[in-house]
Amino acid sequence: MKFKLSHLVLGLFLETIVLCLITSFRFINIESTATLLIFNLLFLSLTFHLNGALYIKLGMLALGNITGLFWYFVLYYFATAGVAFFGEPFNVFYAISYPFLNFMWIVAFWSLSLTFFPKLKSTAAEVNP
Amino acid sequence: MIIEALEVVFLFSTAVIIAYLVRHYVFTLTVLRRTSKARSNVAVDAKYEPTVSILIPARDEEQVIGRLLQRMTELTYPNDKLQIITINDASSDSTGRIADEYAHRYAFIEVLHRGFGNGGKGKAAAMNSGFERSTGEIVLCFDADYYPQRDIVEKLVKEFVDPAVGAVQGRPVVLNEAQNVVTRLVTLERIGGYRVDQEARDNLGLIPQFGGTVGGFRRSVLEKLGGFDESMLTEDTDLTFQVYLAGFKVRYVGDAECYEEAVDNWKAYWRQRHRWARGHMQVCFKHALNVLRSKKLNIKKKIDGLLLLHVYFMPVLTLVSFFSGVSLILSQSSQLVNAVWFFVPVSFYSVVGNFAPFFEISIGAYLDGRTRIQWLIPLLLFSYLYNILICTKAFLDLFAAKMLRKSQSDWAKTRHLGNGNGYIVN
Repeated sequence: MKFKLSHLVLGLFLETIVLCLITSFRFINIESTATLLIFNLLFLSLTFHLNGALYIKLGMLALGNITGLFWYFVLYYFATAGVAFFGEPFNVFYAISYPFLNFMWIVAFWSLSLTFFPKLKSTAAEVNP
Repeated sequence: MIIEALEVVFLFSTAVIIAYLVRHYVFTLTVLRRTSKARSNVAVDAKYEPTVSILIPARDEEQVIGRLLQRMTELTYPNDKLQIITINDASSDSTGRIADEYAHRYAFIEVLHRGFGNGGKGKAAAMNSGFERSTGEIVLCFDADYYPQRDIVEKLVKEFVDPAVGAVQGRPVVLNEAQNVVTRLVTLERIGGYRVDQEARDNLGLIPQFGGTVGGFRRSVLEKLGGFDESMLTEDTDLTFQVYLAGFKVRYVGDAECYEEAVDNWKAYWRQRHRWARGHMQVCFKHALNVLRSKKLNIKKKIDGLLLLHVYFMPVLTLVSFFSGVSLILSQSSQLVNAVWFFVPVSFYSVVGNFAPFFEISIGAYLDGRTRIQWLIPLLLFSYLYNILICTKAFLDLFAAKMLRKSQSDWAKTRHLGNGNGYIVN
């Protein structure tokens, strides 16, 4: 596996633009922005080293950001419905669970996205996979 | 006053969690960078073939011992330089008979029978009796449920060309991965722990850990250390630190693979991890101050050593972080707490095996050429929750044992049913 510095540099450049765009959206709260920031930094710094075409990596990064934003809106409407239905106690539940729910999509997206990268040769040679 | 104290506890525990996450992020980056370059191996002297003794401690292992002994006869290392010692430690099944059959057929295989009187006192005691019998310059250890590569001895032994190397560790790979979801999750933990964690620690010149199997020692070093400490539940971790404190190092050899039968149900998982956690905490109490005071360890090794020693306290600490954080949020605490609370969920995906976060495991799986197993990474959340209970129980048990001055050493062994046999390609 070769270290792909050009992929990393281009990714970082586009990343900066994406993050500026995200932070300029006024309707996104600080926690969601921070979640997206963590996702972007992890994804960029770790997966852009891997084998695979640059367009796949950039595509996955863009899809990740869209998923994150979509997840934020789902949570927002979930909270609105929850407060309307259960009243004020729901706010306490939401304050505690929000960071966990907010972060959940990253792991799921990450695990799916890595299956799109070209497979490296398996090391387990003497046993059935 | 209570609120302030809670804030201190919460901020401290979260800071430690973040420190561990940063550590594993560095490990992951290191392995990625290192894989990009050619792996720098020790210059192998073709004539370096020391005598090797292989210790196989076995207690009630009739389902798997034959498989391992058969494999020992297939090793590519010269037979005249090999001594295989099976330590039948007060088995109540036919382990001893199977080992005897191999000993009769092959001159380099020996069996050491420990009866119910002197045997059954733990793995470390069994290993010590095997070590007394051994004659090799290098002493390797394999658990009975393992199935090594044919050339594993050459791969492990070559590191001892360097006189500073006191011990080596190879890589366990799960044999029965396809059996069920538990074995698949254990596979993910093993990938994170060995493909990334151990590899990075070796590359960075930190403290790779001897895991008690698929590895071994230079005889002179083990003699100097007085063998295995029989009062320790995890004699392997204890020996790792003893080796470093004596001025030697442990090398991790990632391409020396050995296939293991992973636990296949949650009850067995609990028993195994509980023993690991309790033993690791025991070693932490024994060596934490020694590591800090040691003049043979540099600052980098001291930091890594302390983080390694405390790793099984992390699930307990995340529990503390969670409850103190919830209490503070309910009591409308400061903005700082709200901001830091945001980082707590990151730990939910971080306490797996050797505190491996999801990104470390997934990159390890990728480097191993694995694709479909990536889909299971979100399920590690459940093993994390399970690990919280296991480590908390282990901590309380150790605390109670200390108070009551109860002995720690016994065979809290994992039962092996030979489920991995069907996965071996002959």
